[in-house]
Amino acid sequence: MTRAATRRREGNVPESKQPVIETRGLRKVFRDFWRRPTVEAVKGLDLTVNDGEVFGLLGPNGSGKSTTIKMLLGLLRPTAGLVRVLGAAPDDTRAKARIGYLPEVSHLHPFLTPRETLMYYASLFGMPRKEAVRRTHELLVMVDLEHAADRAVGGFSKGMARRVGLAQALVNAPDLLILDEPTSGLDPIGSREVKDLVRALAQGGVSVLMTSHLLADVEDVCDRVAILERGALRAEGMIADLLRQPDAVRFEVEGLDEPAAAAVRAELEAHTGRRVRQEYPAMSLERYFLQVVAQDGRQRTFALAPFLGTAPADTERLTPNSQLPIPNS
Amino acid sequence: MANDAQNGLAATARRIGGVAVLAVRAALRTRTVGALLALLAACVLVLPGVVKGDGTPEGELHILLTYTLGFAFGILCLATLWAACALFAAEIDSARMQLSAVKPVRAAEFWAGKWLALLALNGVALLAVYAGVYAQVRWRMHRDGWEAVEQPVSRRVAHPLLPTPRQEARETLDELRARNELPHGYSERTILRVLEEKAHEKYTEIPPGRQQAWRFRLSRPLRTSETVTVRLRFETEYNTRAQVTGICRLGCVETARAVEVPLDDFTLKEIEFAVDARAFGQAPEAGLRTFELSFEHTGDAQHAPGLLLRFRKDVALLTPGGSFWMNLLRAAAVHGSVLALLAAFGLTLSVCFSLPVAAFVATVLLVLTMVGNSVVQVVSEEDAKKWSNRAGVLVSRTVHGATRHALQAEPLAALTNGERLDAGMLRASVGWNALLLPLLLAAAGCAVLRRRELADAE
Repeated sequence: MTRAATRRREGNVPESKQPVIETRGLRKVFRDFWRRPTVEAVKGLDLTVNDGEVFGLLGPNGSGKSTTIKMLLGLLRPTAGLVRVLGAAPDDTRAKARIGYLPEVSHLHPFLTPRETLMYYASLFGMPRKEAVRRTHELLVMVDLEHAADRAVGGFSKGMARRVGLAQALVNAPDLLILDEPTSGLDPIGSREVKDLVRALAQGGVSVLMTSHLLADVEDVCDRVAILERGALRAEGMIADLLRQPDAVRFEVEGLDEPAAAAVRAELEAHTGRRVRQEYPAMSLERYFLQVVAQDGRQRTFALAPFLGTAPADTERLTPNSQLPIPNS
Repeated sequence: MANDAQNGLAATARRIGGVAVLAVRAALRTRTVGALLALLAACVLVLPGVVKGDGTPEGELHILLTYTLGFAFGILCLATLWAACALFAAEIDSARMQLSAVKPVRAAEFWAGKWLALLALNGVALLAVYAGVYAQVRWRMHRDGWEAVEQPVSRRVAHPLLPTPRQEARETLDELRARNELPHGYSERTILRVLEEKAHEKYTEIPPGRQQAWRFRLSRPLRTSETVTVRLRFETEYNTRAQVTGICRLGCVETARAVEVPLDDFTLKEIEFAVDARAFGQAPEAGLRTFELSFEHTGDAQHAPGLLLRFRKDVALLTPGGSFWMNLLRAAAVHGSVLALLAAFGLTLSVCFSLPVAAFVATVLLVLTMVGNSVVQVVSEEDAKKWSNRAGVLVSRTVHGATRHALQAEPLAALTNGERLDAGMLRASVGWNALLLPLLLAAAGCAVLRRRELADAE
């Protein structure tokens, strides 16, 4: 269990807003063989991710998201600027011991089994064998790969490999989790599970930095986002603040019949002097898909309980008994 | 505090162990290792049957020890070098290193883990090859009934007490300076180096009618139950197998007793004869240790050729020096140390370059190491000064200088000649090849690994 998680769960320490990631004037210029500059991937980035926050880094392809992450992890060296991760330089091994990382492509050793893979990464944290075995078992259960624990990863589907990748990112129970496109290659159920996991980890006090092309994913889990474009920061803030439309108000009412709805609409139009739009909300395709799959008994969930101690309070669990929505005619 | 340090050490050991286990698994789960094992098995089992000897037990032994072990060691050298070149380079190229590099592992721990994995794999392969060769030697000796005639032996070698090549080179230099005959255009350092190289290989002539004597001091006293073997190797003036006659006289200084052995019409270029230690009389408490050997060329002054000998190499006294299989183990240790050096070299290259570049550079440097000695010997100082030769000679001399100590021990020659690999040589080989040079290479490799970017723009 992480120190932050323990702290939070005990509930006797107020939530701190210490930055876990801080960049100032971060710049990265890639050069060719002859040291000539080819592209400026990141241009003077100032970024702060606070403790316990789920932070989303958004941007189109080539906007510098992955380059930024690689500089945070010490895989690339900044051309200029300052990087602090968990209060230390990116190549500080004490800081590295508290970080979990899932790259965009899992890059697993194809000849290893999931069990061997997790044991290997546990050994890199200097974990005693007994503890590594227990942790490996927990993580295999969590990502639902116990049945394939002794098959070589090389024969896995992209989704299964992604699950192994996710498990290795959690092997050290990190305080800071860096996820590069975490839902890439996962089916809707897998995506939902990852998002549930991220929320659950954040509730446990883990700070999360994630990138994604799928804006809906980011919207579902992130507290704050930054939008990059061509290496520069274009926008940053709380999602709720960024997306709020101050001029509009929306009501949702159940059980209102058509004449009553018409009367309410007329009243509102008279009050505002503007036309009021009336809609019958539909559930998202993702939610509908998940309910159908759950109805078929194909439910899967990350077994978070042994990992976090308690199940996250706001994680919605789909069960075969969930009601299918009645199509709106 | 002590507990923390222990935990730190234990954690370091676990990280190194983890890296090593991964490298071993990677090796064992690829086809390359299978192919390598098949090649080694062919070397040990098939090669001795294919290569025909001269029908003598010595010839058979020579094939088994030189060809079989030589081929197997050559294969292991290349395999080790290329595998080491791949260990970092392939992981970096495939981006798998990224996942490991973000974990709290120091560059030195990565390096040590991979090096130890190569060492372990090489150790197993080398021991299997040597055990196979030992079994072959025993089986062939038994099958062909040569056990009574020829036994593989291990003998201590004592060379004549002579000034060191450096001392001899200094004396020659002083003489040349006194006579004002120093060659122009060369520094004294260069002249000294050339003289020293020449001193190693210097031939001295014993013309007909002349006598030459050498003094020996054995590293271990000779027991009265043992024998001492005299070995003389020589060239003749015209490099032909001429008929030579002479008298060898071997005397023990402690007992003042000597044995005279006439040598008539010997046409080979090597003479070996054994003398029973009892022939030197009652040994003092300290044992028989100091000997004097003289050789008198009794050939016809008109027709017999003079004998050319390199005193430092060609004249020796051989005394019992342990069992053959222990000597085989010592040879395996020397070979193992060379493989450890190659593994370290390949690993450091693989940190610096991609796999194809690292493998190419490693192979070129290996070839240069093999030919460097010849180039240094063959190229004269005048030729070395020509602008067209400068770069090549400089590279060859540098590589030769850097690897001279590392490759000083010649385990195959020692095994074939029945010479015990002495402890000093073994210590030097292991210390130089498996400790000092790998440490330097590791320092360089780790410095590069810490500075190198392990990801790219993708």
